[in-house]
Amino acid sequence: MGDAITAVLLGLPMTLLVTALAFTIGAIGGIPIMLGLRSQWKPLRLTIRFIVDLIRGIPPIVWLFLIYFGVQIGALRFDSLSAAVVGLGIIASAYLAEIYRGGFATLPRGQAEASAALGLGVRTTFGRILAPQALRTALPSITTYGLSLLKDSSIASTIGVADMVFAANMFARQNPATAGIVPFFIAAAVYLIVSIPIAVFARRLDTRLRKAQ
Amino acid sequence: MNPGLLTQATPLAHAGVEISHLSKSFGDNLVLDDISMTVKPGSVTALIGPSGSGKSTLLRCVNLLETPDEGTITVGSQTIVAGAKVKDRQLLELRRQVGMVFQSFNLFPHYTVLRNVAFPQEKILGRSREEAEERALTLLERVGLKDKAEQHPGRCSGGQQQRIAIVRALALNPRAMLFDEPTSALDPEVGIEVLAVMRELADAGMTMIVVTHEMQFARDVGDHLVVMADGHIIEEGNPAEIMAHPREERTRRFLSAVLER
Repeated sequence: MGDAITAVLLGLPMTLLVTALAFTIGAIGGIPIMLGLRSQWKPLRLTIRFIVDLIRGIPPIVWLFLIYFGVQIGALRFDSLSAAVVGLGIIASAYLAEIYRGGFATLPRGQAEASAALGLGVRTTFGRILAPQALRTALPSITTYGLSLLKDSSIASTIGVADMVFAANMFARQNPATAGIVPFFIAAAVYLIVSIPIAVFARRLDTRLRKAQ
Repeated sequence: MNPGLLTQATPLAHAGVEISHLSKSFGDNLVLDDISMTVKPGSVTALIGPSGSGKSTLLRCVNLLETPDEGTITVGSQTIVAGAKVKDRQLLELRRQVGMVFQSFNLFPHYTVLRNVAFPQEKILGRSREEAEERALTLLERVGLKDKAEQHPGRCSGGQQQRIAIVRALALNPRAMLFDEPTSALDPEVGIEVLAVMRELADAGMTMIVVTHEMQFARDVGDHLVVMADGHIIEEGNPAEIMAHPREERTRRFLSAVLER
């Protein structure tokens, strides 16, 4: 049992790394995509909308396979970690863009109008008036998405990223007689232990921000 | 309170507003049809009329929240010609000269009351944070809301929020103020607090265009009354005179409908 725990935990840093990198790509990449989704110019808006739906319409595991096995630039191919981070990052960009857009959509029109009427420029209006409010509204959805990304990062194990699920799988195979299903229970427990505090923290933060207004 | 208190820190003279042959459509719907109107510097014009008459759209054209299709708008020395490309700098300059107060207040909920009033000053007038907040506190005190400075607007009543919104606009030293049904979302007794502040502003010589259903305010404070219907100005002149002796049947019907409310 102790060996199994140690073995599975060895995969935890990789799980956290894949999740953190993919989330960071998504959090930043989601911004231009969201701007495209909100564009006044219809051709751009429809193109971005199509791309977002395309990204979300294909299962993550298929994306990872396509990028890992299918993409070759010159002699360069993605190693498994890069393929996982890029693939999950692209998917995260699409989902987070949609979440950001939803946050902006809930803002009353009067906020942008009041800011414009005061003489504040487009950038100030966006950065200081609209975005902080939209982010606040979107915070619960962003957290939920981050937690689901933590769990989805496990599919990286299918292309050979040595994360927790990969480690659990390895341990089970190397100890077929004794390990049984135990390593996977351990992995499940670690996922819970990591995600529950994040969920609680996010809920508290959300309540506090709501009260402040 | 003394007239002048709210605007005594305003060094610039108040500007006149000249609207000339203004037209505006939303799709096939002609909302403003060849409107011309003069607002003298330091005067108060009340804009009344049934809903859908175009009065709010007209007001929103003055600071280009709506883009007119035809005509010209002059505020002070700045003229905007419909159809010509308006440069960003020109647009911001116009909006800096003209303050606007909305029916739904539109304070920024994520900022405290103090920041609501101070932040635009820092961005637009380049004031330091200390300077802007000092000016904000002075103005808030004058409308009796200094104790709300550290609260978020969500904690304030509608009447308080609207007074804060007026102060937010005034802090930028506008040369004219637009009011779009500023008391329509308020209970009557609360609306009185807001109207009192507006009255003071008028006494201080601010150029004001007020879209309103407050007939008493229009008569007592207004220098000029404009009655609109279906995108046209159907009648204009001295407020008391028009209310006592409306020339147009539409005006008569509208006035009796509002007064019987």
